[in-house]
Amino acid sequence: MSLRGVWQLKKLVVSFCDWGGSSRGIRAFMESELPAFIEKNPQLEVVTELNRGYHPLLKGFYKNKNERVVCVKNMTQEDVLQCASRLRNSQGRKVLKLKTRHVTKHPSVQGTWSTDLKIAN
Amino acid sequence: MANRRCFQTLARCLRSIRTLTPISECLAPYTAPALSQTLPNYIFLNKFKVYQVPARSFCSRHSESEDDDYESGEEEDYGENEEDIADLSAEEKVKEATEIGYTVLGPLQKSDRVFKLYEPVFAVVQIGSHQFKVSNGDTIYTERLKHCDINDKLVLNKVLMLGSQAQTIIGRPVLPEAAVHAVVEEHALDAKVIIFKKKRRKNYRRTKGHRQELTKLRITDIQGIEKPENTMPLPPQTKEKEKAEKKVAMEA
Repeated sequence: MSLRGVWQLKKLVVSFCDWGGSSRGIRAFMESELPAFIEKNPQLEVVTELNRGYHPLLKGFYKNKNERVVCVKNMTQEDVLQCASRLRNSQGRKVLKLKTRHVTKHPSVQGTWSTDLKIAN
Repeated sequence: MANRRCFQTLARCLRSIRTLTPISECLAPYTAPALSQTLPNYIFLNKFKVYQVPARSFCSRHSESEDDDYESGEEEDYGENEEDIADLSAEEKVKEATEIGYTVLGPLQKSDRVFKLYEPVFAVVQIGSHQFKVSNGDTIYTERLKHCDINDKLVLNKVLMLGSQAQTIIGRPVLPEAAVHAVVEEHALDAKVIIFKKKRRKNYRRTKGHRQELTKLRITDIQGIEKPENTMPLPPQTKEKEKAEKKVAMEA
């Protein structure tokens, strides 16, 4: 994600377990698809962490000091890649219901309409 | 539906004609090209078959005539099914994208100064089935646009109306020479919506969660209309002037 051209995701932490079966997918992801992911995103700092005895996690650290933690236990490598892409594509803001689909600071160009408005012909 | 009705009545007429006298006998004196000139609209439609012996001369595509084909002629052309395979060729991607209403220009370079100050110009733009009244620096949330990545520059082609403080240009329905430039900011999921179905006293209750995939676009430029010249004083200059004035005051 980027705000006015500035990437919002600063760091991605891939924490996995050597021994556990729930980390199989993420281990395969680290072997097969993680290098390509790192190459495509040079602005991103990717760190792999060994966390034995815990389920595998993807942690994303954003510029607005927000952390998003996604548990990827028992997922296939493609699913893990999708999760990582989602973290990279998002802005880190809190997921709220959208109020409007059009956000603007200048709603009117030709003047706001009112019932008293008279258009000169 | 009207097409189907016309075809059915025509089919019935032709069938009845068939039982009485075959068309080949009736039309024997006429030559094929003469007939095709005199009766252009009735019989010589694509995919519609006529019962007669010299069928090829009349019908554009089919050689045989059967009963079933009268009904198959009612159906519209089978459109190409959307490719289930995720790998579309580059041309097909571009084609799909233009149908929805945008073209991908390419990734944003660091040297591009795309984010400008606000200009009092608006455009009404259509993406997919949604229309937005858009100005410079606005943000728009649309359905997920498949063939573009983050930090990509887009050109939105379907511009329905342009306006500024002095001028308004209305398209019929689209303005061909107008273009709206935008940058992709985010591909994210919306908040979860829970779809809850219940039928009371019938022991039926279903819960389903749904998150819509959205794309956030920032509009950078609107082209196709004359923009008013900027008469507002720029902030950095005024600050410098103030500083210079303060220095002079201090020295004095």
